[in-house]
Formats: sequence, C-alpha cells, structure tokens
Amino acid sequence: MIQLIKKDLKLFFGNKQDWILTFILPIIFITLFSFVFGKMGGTDEDNLGGLVHVVAGTSVMMLLFSVAGIGGSLLDEKQDGMLKKLLCSPINPRHILYGKLVYANIISIVQLIIMFVYAWLFFGLDFIEHLPSVMLMILVIAYACSGFGVVLASFAKSRKQVQGYSTIVVLVMSSVGGSMVPLFMMPEIMQKLAVVSVNYWGIQGFYDIFLNLLPITDITFLSKVFALIGIGTFLNLVALRMFKRNILKMA
Amino acid sequence: MIDVLNLKKTFDTIEALKGISFNIAQGECYGLLGPNGAGKTTTISIMSTLVEPNEGEINIAGIDLRTNPQECKKNIGVVTQELALYNELSAYDNLLFWGGLYDVPKPELIARIDQTMKLFGLFDRKNDKVKTYSGGMKRRINIASALLNKPKILFMDEPTVGIDPQSRNLIFEVVEKLRKEGMTIVYTTHYMEEAERLCDRIGIIDNGKIIAQGTLNELKTSGSMKESVVISFTNLTDAHHSSIANDWKDLLRFDDTLHFYTMDIQGDLSKIIMKCSNIGLDISKIDIKKINLETIFLSLTGKKLRDT
Repeated sequence: MIQLIKKDLKLFFGNKQDWILTFILPIIFITLFSFVFGKMGGTDEDNLGGLVHVVAGTSVMMLLFSVAGIGGSLLDEKQDGMLKKLLCSPINPRHILYGKLVYANIISIVQLIIMFVYAWLFFGLDFIEHLPSVMLMILVIAYACSGFGVVLASFAKSRKQVQGYSTIVVLVMSSVGGSMVPLFMMPEIMQKLAVVSVNYWGIQGFYDIFLNLLPITDITFLSKVFALIGIGTFLNLVALRMFKRNILKMA
Repeated sequence: MIDVLNLKKTFDTIEALKGISFNIAQGECYGLLGPNGAGKTTTISIMSTLVEPNEGEINIAGIDLRTNPQECKKNIGVVTQELALYNELSAYDNLLFWGGLYDVPKPELIARIDQTMKLFGLFDRKNDKVKTYSGGMKRRINIASALLNKPKILFMDEPTVGIDPQSRNLIFEVVEKLRKEGMTIVYTTHYMEEAERLCDRIGIIDNGKIIAQGTLNELKTSGSMKESVVISFTNLTDAHHSSIANDWKDLLRFDDTLHFYTMDIQGDLSKIIMKCSNIGLDISKIDIKKINLETIFLSLTGKKLRDT
C-alpha cells in the first residue's frame, strides 16, 4: 500500500496542474472572497466571522474538488490498464482503494493547513492560538471528504464524467452547506437540509473554534467532530462497496 | 507449467468460453490466436487471475489458481495490451513502482531494473519521463515492467501493436531469449508472422472453443489444407477456362488469373503448366502459395469480419 501512496505523491508533486488546482486556485478564491466578505462587517467580530466563513467555506469546497480529482485518477488508471496490471500483482485489491483514501487524506490535510497558514499570514486569522482544535477539525474534514472522490468515480465511466458530476455535486453541497452564502441568510428549509453536507459541519466547527471560542473538549464542538467522522465513515464504506462492485469490475 | 481443463466462462447470457483445455510445458511459447471476440482475452484474463471462471480447473506453476490466486500471482508476469505506464513518471520510477509490488529487496530490484533497461536498450533514457518516449519505447518499458519479479510464466497480450520494426524485432529477440532461459510464455497476437516466428505451439480459439492446436507443422498437416498455384495469363478466355475446368475441378478464376488448389504441389505443378501450354495459353506470371499460419487461420475461422 505504501508503494501506491508513494507513487501517487510522486505523480502529484511532478504535476504542475495538480499543484495549481489544489493550492493556488483555493488561495486565489480565499484572497478574493476575503477582500470582499472579510471586511464587510461593522465590528471586528463581524469581520472575523466573515473571514472564518470565507476560509472554512472555500477550503472545504475546494477540498471536495481535489478529492473528486483523486477519484477521477482511479478511472484513468482503469482506462489505461494500470488497474488491470495492479490486480495481476500480489497486492490485496482493497489496498488499491485504501492507498487512494490515505493519499486523499494526506493531500487534504496539506491543502487545509496551507489555506489556514495563508489566511493567518495575509489576513490575520490567528489559528495558532487554537492549534489543537484546528488540527482536529482539519483531520476530521480530510477524513470526511476522502471517500467522496471514489464514490463519485464509481458512478462514472471516465475522468471527464467525474468532473461533470463533481461540479454539480460540490456546488450543490457547498451552497446547501453554507460555503457560498452564510446559512443564516438562507430559508429555514435550506438550513435544515444543510446537515447532510460536509461543508456545514466543517464551517460550524470552525465557527465554534474562532467565534464561539469553545475548547476542544466542549461537547458542542465535539458533536461537529463526530458528525464529520460519521459522514467520513459512511462515505468510506460506500466507497469500499462501490469500488468492489463497479471499479474493480474488469469484464 | 500451465494446465487448463474444461474452462468455462459466461458473461450474463454470453458464453465466452465453452470448455477449453490445453497444457503448456515449461519453457514453451504458446500462441493463442483467434478472431475478435473468440475468447482469447477471457482466457488470458482468467489465467492472470483477473476474471474468475464458472467451471474448470487451472493449474499455474503447480498451484491451483481457483483456490490460491494470490500465490499464482507471484509466479506470473502480465504484459497488458494497454500501455499500463504512468506518463508523468520516469521510466525508472515506473519500473521501481511496478517491481516494488513484489517481494523483491530494493537493492536487488534496482539491479534488475538496470539489467532490464539495458536488455531493452533504454538504459540511457531511464530518467526521462515516459511521456517523452516513442510508442515503441513505451511498449518495451511495458514489457520490462512485467519481468521484474522474474516470473515463471509471462502472459503477453498483443505486445507489439502499433510499433516500429526495430522495436518489434528487439521484442522478438527478448522473447526468444526469455524462452531459451526457461520462461513459459503465452502470447496472443493478430500478426501471424509473429506467432510463426516465436511460438512452439499454437492454439486457435473461436466461439469459445479451441478449434485447432499443435506445432505449425502439425497444423499444416492436420487438416485438408491445400496449397495453391496462381497463374496469370495474357490471353485467357472463357473457352480456355472451361477446357481447364474439365480436367481440374478445384479451380477459381479471377479476371486473367487462375487459382489451382492442390495437396501435392510438386506433383501437380508440371501437369498444370503442360495443360496450359497445350491449349495455347500464354503465361505471364506464376505464384506458388504455400500453406502458412494465415491460410490455416482463415480456413478455420472463416473470412467474415468480426467487429465485436
């Protein structure tokens, strides 16, 4: 499995396009949105709320696009015969999936850390003060999103189809979950629907850390952590089932 | 080395394999030929553990494939028809990855990579990204990646599709070398001359059944295959044709050319020329078509196009 993860990381670090999509594009969005929404409030607390919303919302949304791309890479490997060759080798077929999930987690964690470091350096979002809580949130968000790409890929036939699906699903999840417009500005029904999205729990978790100043042991904050773990576990189980049923199907 | 007995496979309602059996000895190169959709890929996919059969027994290097596929995988190498390579990685990194999937200690693996790249004439380009390689070079690396675990059995599924003659020749030389070293090879191809050159025995598969099997000589003599003498004339008329057809039943006419079919070309050639001369035919060209794998293949599987 380590071989598979190392290979994916080598491919990632050797591909400028992946770098741009994973790190540069989210930074551009955060910069733009922070200038627009991060300074709109009347008070410092309002401004901080806007900034947290922009950083958390944009990061989770872009993270979903990144993991969708990782799912798409599985289909590239199937189409180009790599998956077939992997299945002829003595590795356990499940390790192919686990390798992708661990890789997705690594990229997600790095992506989220870079976003928060950027927001800290350029917009003064002091996450160092809340480091344990932020790191816990980053870990569970990465876990929650990791299976998303594989689940999408199992319904598609090619990377292009994954891109098409991911654009729709991520934008819907992000708008419902509050990544684009803060939830309090939405109708009640949308606020109820939001609980099905990773974005909602991620944003609420960061609100708890930065705005409500809840400690890591607080049950309100931990409820968001557990919700994300629950979503991640559900998506990973679906990914495992779909991977065996759809992606590994060779003939 | 490979024993296949009464292998059957059905996909939904399609019977892909209807009970095929064959044995391949160690160090033998066995060619599996057949039209599109005949069952070649299904057979190779089952032998390389990708697809589970519905019925039948398969023994790979003394191991029952159905009960112990993981152990079988350690003994096989698979050269896929697709170029299963990561274009953004160097050839060396590709080989390090594919070889690393087997239990080969790293120093040993690195030595094998260098050795294999030299064998395929790519050592000088080992650090270049695969995307910069030509089609022939990619094909060679694709084969190299299947040899790093030193497999006892190598499955090669159309390994020379779309490459330059030099690369093809190098691949032939490598296959011959591996066979001499005792590796068992199962080779599928649509190029008959490749099978003639490389394979000790050939199995022709069609509609999920092996319809002929043996050495090239055995295949040539097993059926009622006929060689042909193709003679072109400058003054061939219908009258000439009728006159010859009275003496020679197995005959076809195409414009100014007559095709004489015979099982004894040495004995019949002089008779044919004599007859033509006697009726005043002026011969412009004589072509003798000996039996080869292509004629055997076409006579067994037919000339109808298979586009599935």
